[in-house]
Amino acid sequence: MQPLLAIWNSTIFQKWVMAVTGIVLVGFLAGHLSGNLLIFLGPDHMNAYGVELRELLHGSVIWVTRIGLLLAFVLHVRAGIVLAARNRKSTGVSNSKVTNKTSTIASRTMVYSGLLILFYVIYHLAHFTWGLAHTEYYSYVDSLGRHDVYRMVVESFRNPVIVATYSLAMIVTGLHLNHAISSAFQTLGINNRRINGLIRSAGPIVGIALVLGFLSVPLSVVFGLVK
Amino acid sequence: MSFESYIPSGPIEQKWDNYKAEQKLVNPANKRKYKVIVVGTGLAGSAAAASLAELGYNVSAFTYHDSPRRAHSIAAQGGINAAKNYQNDGDSVWRLFYDTVKGGDFRAREANVYRLAQVSESIIDQCVAQGVPFAREYGGYLSNRSFGGAQVSRTFYARGQTGQQLLIGAYQALSRQIGLGKVTMHNKNEMMDLIVVNGKARGIVTRDLVTGKIESHIADAVLLCTGGYGNVFYLSTNAMNCNVTAAYRAYKKGAFFGNPCYTQIHPTCIPVSGDYQSKLTLMSESLRNDGRIWVPKTQGEARGAAEIPETERDYYLERKYPSFGNLSPRDIASRAAKEACDDGRGVGPGGKGVYLDFADAINRLGQSTIEERYGNLFEMYERITGENPYKVPMRIYPAVHYTMGGLWVDYELMSTIPGLFVLGEANFSDHGANRLGASALMQGLADGYFVIPYTLANYFAKGGIEKIDTSIKEVRDAQQQSTEKIQSLLSINGKRTPTSFHRELGKIMWDKCGMARNEKGLSEALIEIPALREEFWQNLTVPGSGEQLNQSLEVANRVADFLEFSELMVRDAVERRESAGGHFREEYQTPDGEAKRNDEEFSYVAAWEYKGEGSKPELHKEQLEFENVKLATRSYK
Amino acid sequence: MNLRLHIWRQTGPSDHGMLRAYNVNNVSEHMSFLEMLDVLNEELIEKGEEPVAFDHDCREGICGTCGMVINGRPHGPLSRTTACQLHMRSFKDGDEIYIEPWRATAFPIVRDLVVDRSAFDRVIQRGGFVSVNTGNAQDGNAIPISKIDADVSMDAAACIGCGACVAACPNSSASLFVAAKIGHLVALPQGKAEAATRAMSMVLSMDAEGFGSCTNHYECEAACPKGISADFIAQMNREFMKSVF
Repeated sequence: MQPLLAIWNSTIFQKWVMAVTGIVLVGFLAGHLSGNLLIFLGPDHMNAYGVELRELLHGSVIWVTRIGLLLAFVLHVRAGIVLAARNRKSTGVSNSKVTNKTSTIASRTMVYSGLLILFYVIYHLAHFTWGLAHTEYYSYVDSLGRHDVYRMVVESFRNPVIVATYSLAMIVTGLHLNHAISSAFQTLGINNRRINGLIRSAGPIVGIALVLGFLSVPLSVVFGLVK
Repeated sequence: MSFESYIPSGPIEQKWDNYKAEQKLVNPANKRKYKVIVVGTGLAGSAAAASLAELGYNVSAFTYHDSPRRAHSIAAQGGINAAKNYQNDGDSVWRLFYDTVKGGDFRAREANVYRLAQVSESIIDQCVAQGVPFAREYGGYLSNRSFGGAQVSRTFYARGQTGQQLLIGAYQALSRQIGLGKVTMHNKNEMMDLIVVNGKARGIVTRDLVTGKIESHIADAVLLCTGGYGNVFYLSTNAMNCNVTAAYRAYKKGAFFGNPCYTQIHPTCIPVSGDYQSKLTLMSESLRNDGRIWVPKTQGEARGAAEIPETERDYYLERKYPSFGNLSPRDIASRAAKEACDDGRGVGPGGKGVYLDFADAINRLGQSTIEERYGNLFEMYERITGENPYKVPMRIYPAVHYTMGGLWVDYELMSTIPGLFVLGEANFSDHGANRLGASALMQGLADGYFVIPYTLANYFAKGGIEKIDTSIKEVRDAQQQSTEKIQSLLSINGKRTPTSFHRELGKIMWDKCGMARNEKGLSEALIEIPALREEFWQNLTVPGSGEQLNQSLEVANRVADFLEFSELMVRDAVERRESAGGHFREEYQTPDGEAKRNDEEFSYVAAWEYKGEGSKPELHKEQLEFENVKLATRSYK
Repeated sequence: MNLRLHIWRQTGPSDHGMLRAYNVNNVSEHMSFLEMLDVLNEELIEKGEEPVAFDHDCREGICGTCGMVINGRPHGPLSRTTACQLHMRSFKDGDEIYIEPWRATAFPIVRDLVVDRSAFDRVIQRGGFVSVNTGNAQDGNAIPISKIDADVSMDAAACIGCGACVAACPNSSASLFVAAKIGHLVALPQGKAEAATRAMSMVLSMDAEGFGSCTNHYECEAACPKGISADFIAQMNREFMKSVF
């Protein structure tokens, strides 16, 4: 029997941690996006959703979700950093001119795109969840006395700096997902000659769809489709 | 020194059983007191090292490669024979035995060949159990193909990579024992000399190719599994590093060398393309199952293959040997190709080639079937020549491929030096004057898995192996001589490279001691070789030092031995005044150009004894008794 | 054709190597790449210089001994072709060719283009086999094996252990090599009995040897001279996790 710690530290186990937590995070992104898209149904739906989210089952759901997400996020980032450091050591000092054939910019920069996303997520939470950044948009209250999420979003996205940062972050996320989704399937060993082609092409498509969905909100604000 | 074959008593079917019944054994607790050195990790060496370690012996294995998995057994393409008779086509142990003796032109020892045929079945079982992915039929059962020199389908294969898969199987078994600590593996170590103490083989001197360190290793028995000497011809299908050094140094220490003149010329190799050529590439003989060999009927034909109409083609193997046709044995197919080319009907650059044509097979079976059977070989051919064999016929020419000769061994695979065993291609034992296709893998594994584990025990159980250590004189002397040899190679400071000598030696050997030999050429070679050797020791240059990886030094050390060994080979070819199998003496042929044996005078194994520097070696003869197979003119017509 | 070569020269593991330039003239298109290097080496020896050390043996693409990075590609520009099978018709007159050794911490450089790949052997020693002693076997046809399984097994078993996968991988991962061995054996009934211990111990050994992790770039698959599929890596991941739970 191998000691648990050796198994936990093995590259493949860490890759599994990365893949499983990655899928959780992609699932979260999908849920998050569906919430964001309520903005197109108007302020009432959006703000009601905000309240519901916080109060579902006396607020337990959101906390369980938050803890779960935090755990997934920490494990994901940790695995990424540990593996990247390890790989750097494995390749040693390299003067090599080895050229790449099948890898992509996305696949080779996962740890960097990942770290950028990490910084952005902290900033993003500070902005929309904790109200620590851009506090001027956080204090709106709608006619029913609810936290006016809709207005916070619309007002924020009228600020070009915020739009630019947000868009950039989404593009980086897209880059990350471009490699991440198919990669997770390979790592989990969900793989079969018949579906490999599908997996390798579906990954980037799902990634792009998510990013376009997220970008649709600020762009709609910028172009005045949502006021 | 003993020169006795020790063939067990009884009818041929029972000899091996009788041997096993009567042999002495070593009890399990005592096995771990013995140490065995295995030199070479090809099929024979890996199989032996793994099997002996499994039994409990302490094994030290040596290879000059960076890993035991690289040995040249890996390159065998076509397959491995076994008398399984899975095809219900009339095969049997007897039939395999008979085919091998006949294929060897009645110059092999009957008892050894029979044992080989007997254990052939266990080899397949063992390899399947190891996870060798042999080709299978849709029903899940093992598939067979037919091969030259046989009228049954008894060849098991793994695509065109059978040797690779069998070697990987043996390598994995060996790796398991290394992991368990029963085998100590020495990679990148080349054997420099054999250590003989009180007439027994007791160890070897090695040189670490990376550090240059010369060391002595002591053991209770030494197994040489060091392959053949085909590279004496410089151009051959052997890997670049194959050499005769280990076997030759054992010969100089007293092991007789058996039938050195028997070399196999393989009929289907890619022709030479230029002077820079470093080696020849074999196209598996299995291609002859579906390819048809032909040359134009007219000399100096200028048209391309496609423009030559059917009526103007000479399918010479089908014409001369109608019952075996394109599947005639290797020596016959090779000589027929040489004849056609010597007749001015060869194709390709220099007229040194014949066509191997798949057009009919592609029409009959479809390209996809041919692709399935030979896809990787076709790809390889195209990579090397730049021609697509699905469209234009392959061009092939014979090339040196295997050496039936080797160190003389008795029934127990022991050489004339007690304690020195020789396995696989390195010994002379089973193939007589010509080896059938798919039998080399069989022999290597038979020796390693199923013969040596028994016969080695018998040697140990007889006792008389005293305790020694590396401080004794014999060991120090051997180590000193090896050190001096390396030093002398480095200090000549002449002008010519080791490879240039090797190339020149190869040309002499190919021209004068190659596919066809005659008294005149051979006597010329006996003058040219010593002269070249003389020049080698005057005019060699080897840059660099002996204290680190120095590949030109490795080559020089091996070429030095080839330059001595080649003379022995030519001497043997002179003495064998008959034609047999791979040894074709132009003076001895039938009116229609077939090899003519002389059973009255030459039905023996020539075993050569080293008599010291500058003295002629002495020829000993082991008479071959054929009690079971009737001597006959080998006919494949 | 005439060529300018830039070859990595390094006298020993602790030495700092560098690229040195050499001219080779009158190269025939029928030469193999290694024969072209032979020609250069013969010239160097005649000038009293030390030749370029490079590993090679069978020169027919099966022993796995040769290996060098040629113009940024392990084994050179052709797919499914080892360096020894690469021929000069793939180059043209006046080409500059960069020749370097495999680069990976687990493959220390011995000299020039020669690297030490014994890490591969050690990984195999940790489970890349079926534990069967000589003489244990039953009849070869006792267990039918579907042609499909035998073919998949052979696809994986085609690995020649050259190390191009490691050289091509941006992480110097040995995943394809290890996965090929696991895939070869697990496809067969004979290899299934110890599938779990094999996957666990080979993967941990691969990590211990200092190879990197797989990040699914598929560079290994593209560089593999035997065209071994990265699907086997997915399978290895599966087998490893099966062995954990």
